[in-house]
Amino acid sequence: MFKKILVANRSEIAVRVMNACRVLGIPSVAVYSDADENAKHRHYADEAVHIGPPPPRESYLDIDKIIAAAKETGCDAIHPGYGFLAENPLLPRRCAAEGIAFIGPSPEAMNLMGNKVESRIKMTEAGIPLVPGMKSSSKDPAVFRKAADKAGYPVMIKAAAGGGGKGMRIVHKADELDAALEAAQREALNAFNDDTVYLEKYIASPRHIEFQVIADSHGNAVHLFERECSIQRRHQKIIEETPSVALTPELRARMGADAVKVAQAADYVNAGTVEFLFDPDGNYYFLEMNTRIQVEHPITEMVTGIDLVVEQIRVAAGLPLSFTQEQLNQRGHAIECRLYAEDGDNNFMPSTGKILHYSEPSGPGIRVDSGVMQGGQITIDYDPIMAKLIVHAPDRATCINKTIDAIHDYKILGVKTSRDFMVDVLRHPDFVHGNTFTDFIEKHMGDRDSNPAKYRDLAAAVATAAAMSAPGAVSSASSGNGVVDGATPWQTIGPWQIGDSISAKA
Amino acid sequence: MQKHEFVFDGEIIDTSAEKVGEAYRVQVGDKSFDIRPVAPGLFATFVDGRKVIVASARDHDTTYVGIEAAVLELSDPSSDGFGGGAGDQAGEKDKIYAPMPGKIVKLMVAVGDTVAEKQHVVIVEAMKMENPVLAKANGTVKAINFAEGDQVDTDHPIVELELDE
Repeated sequence: MFKKILVANRSEIAVRVMNACRVLGIPSVAVYSDADENAKHRHYADEAVHIGPPPPRESYLDIDKIIAAAKETGCDAIHPGYGFLAENPLLPRRCAAEGIAFIGPSPEAMNLMGNKVESRIKMTEAGIPLVPGMKSSSKDPAVFRKAADKAGYPVMIKAAAGGGGKGMRIVHKADELDAALEAAQREALNAFNDDTVYLEKYIASPRHIEFQVIADSHGNAVHLFERECSIQRRHQKIIEETPSVALTPELRARMGADAVKVAQAADYVNAGTVEFLFDPDGNYYFLEMNTRIQVEHPITEMVTGIDLVVEQIRVAAGLPLSFTQEQLNQRGHAIECRLYAEDGDNNFMPSTGKILHYSEPSGPGIRVDSGVMQGGQITIDYDPIMAKLIVHAPDRATCINKTIDAIHDYKILGVKTSRDFMVDVLRHPDFVHGNTFTDFIEKHMGDRDSNPAKYRDLAAAVATAAAMSAPGAVSSASSGNGVVDGATPWQTIGPWQIGDSISAKA
Repeated sequence: MQKHEFVFDGEIIDTSAEKVGEAYRVQVGDKSFDIRPVAPGLFATFVDGRKVIVASARDHDTTYVGIEAAVLELSDPSSDGFGGGAGDQAGEKDKIYAPMPGKIVKLMVAVGDTVAEKQHVVIVEAMKMENPVLAKANGTVKAINFAEGDQVDTDHPIVELELDE
């Protein structure tokens, strides 16, 4: 097993990985930029190395600095988390050259899955169902026209190097195809410096269903069932759940077996996620494979009882998987809500500032993976994800209600979050009935009215009580709300006594 | 009996309160609330007959109150009444500001264009995301103060409108 692990990431996923290191009894090393001097992940690790200024290119994306930090602290492995360098084949290559283990797949597997056209060819050979469309790219518009006619309109043009909606065009009619093709090529060239695009059938109103897989270096590969991530806005998932209401045991077994086949076809070793589009008729199509630990991995952990990050580290150290496919099963239901620093009432505009108050919900089956603390700053430098709320319950209906309660108990003041938006999604009759498709938010949340004004009088009452109970409040104040900046611990700490607990005294 | 004043959404709210045991009994209009401090920044009260824990924090002249999933911002009447944020907060519907410092990646309107409320007028890139900025009212574009590629802060309007009557 590894002696010390460097976590080349920040925020909640860095803390999550460090937590797995603790479980395994392995010391962890954080890296941090100037912007993260007081970030939770920096203090959670056993050691921390400063790696530069806030812009990611000069810190979290700088492979030289990451490697130097690993060597300086004597780390023999690097965990990349998700995002940043997690899917950059240059990091595993460099690690191999430096004699440091990379906790992730081989650069070859990463390359294969990073290229949509190549991975399509490979998966067709492996017998995995794909969305009908072109088997390879072309520069000839006639080839695209022929493929579109064969697949049937509407069709979608996608960038080979794609992601995030860039270089993507939906085409409804044959006479729109040529213009859309040119636009997609231009956009792909600008975004990825590669104008290779391809065409496939456009599936309207699909579900997004993905399978967690993990494979070791001894030839064992298993799946840990599905996650449904259909609730998305701007191609970003915000609520995920498992199991999916759409899968029968038979379909689940078939899709799971195909997900394992995908991993095997790519000679994949590590935890990974195989994404499928699931159409309203019950057909599923391979979309892509993510070669990293995924943001939404905790819901799988809740229903299977497996610590995926611990297993990922074990596999990277050359150990065999600690379970077989037959030993895995799904217990109950789990939902994850992503808490981004954003304004759910204003088009999900990112929100920055200081976290004035922060308290997490707790209780049986309630888990929070967070990267923030009270007093912390949310800056414009990084992805706005602050925390994930993960809730486990015996069944879906209970899980939905429990999640709403947990969101109510999750207090974050000073930075906006979309907690109220999430509650509206979770309460929506179509969500409750499992009618969850990727156009859910567009379709059901467009004319949403948040109306916090209903709490107006209560909020004023709370503000009044807060002003009156604030340390140093002026007892006869008629306005001005008696705020004291920098109240000392002697005013706020309450009764205590050295060497004794307050409860024992009581 | 203490009297307090707060501003919410441009409206002044008057409260009067007294301490009753460990709780504060607060009168707001014809409604009465019992608010009991339970921990730093946390209070117990009732919503629709159910006991809930609510949170409160102060920053400068603003009190933030978290009730269930909502967060309300109340400001002190001595301030401008709008939380002291960027100009964007001050209810000027004719000026369109960036929600945060960032780079203008796309201007979607030109001077003389008519725009509708909620129409996307500019896209600002910040926090690795492209964020559309929306018009807050119907009007005609009077001035555009930045170009694509410019860095913007939150204090200078990107687009100014002549509002429809």
